[in-house]
Amino acid sequence: MDSEFAAGEDTAFVNDEISSIIKEAIEATIGGNTYQHNKVNQWTSNVVEQCLNQLTKLSKPFKYIVNCVIMQKNGAGLHMANSCYWDNATDGSCTVRWENKTMYCIVSIFGLAI
Amino acid sequence: MAETEVAITPSELPSAAENSYIIRPNFKDKFKPAIVKDAIQEVVTEHLKGKDYDPEQAPAWCKAITEAVKEKVKSLGMDRYKLAVNVVIGEQRGQGIKVGCRCFWDSDTDNYAQHLYMNESMFCLATAFGVFFY
Repeated sequence: MDSEFAAGEDTAFVNDEISSIIKEAIEATIGGNTYQHNKVNQWTSNVVEQCLNQLTKLSKPFKYIVNCVIMQKNGAGLHMANSCYWDNATDGSCTVRWENKTMYCIVSIFGLAI
Repeated sequence: MAETEVAITPSELPSAAENSYIIRPNFKDKFKPAIVKDAIQEVVTEHLKGKDYDPEQAPAWCKAITEAVKEKVKSLGMDRYKLAVNVVIGEQRGQGIKVGCRCFWDSDTDNYAQHLYMNESMFCLATAFGVFFY
């Protein structure tokens, strides 16, 4: 269908673009830091805030949900799953798993077309 | 001569094509966090009651809970909502964990509900987001 309303590159959820935004945000806030109990609050909000800032700058017709989990590494297991009810053609999600020596950081972003 | 004119009565028109002019949900169709939270709690408890953390089975529980929560929330009759369900299951070994979330949406219509289940060996955090589809 080649209608002029069909989702083009500039109004679509582009996974690569989003995952690089997430990685940048994590690297900038956490980078090589070790896990510090009194800092995690700030880190999570920083990561989420920076992701959302970059996402809004893309000025695409989307609503966004950004979720960030930071967990200290001590051998404990962690599992995460997502399930969505939406329009597969327009909406999308992107999850990035990142870790350093002392912690895991998992960020998922959902983009829902308006 | 018989009449050959064919009239289409309004009831024969496909109703789906008509614009409802509704851009805000009625109160009864709105995403109500308290009700959704109860639904999540019910599903999570049903799945995890009496269970201890098991690394082999946790991924399956995780997936099952997301699916079950999604289906449960769909059945609550919020017709025009898109849903995103996120479930985190973790082992409790005294480690620190922080979960943060921020949304860019229409706070008039969109909302979320969250429930945390904990026992001695694990925790399970289930979140459901409802985003109104205009």
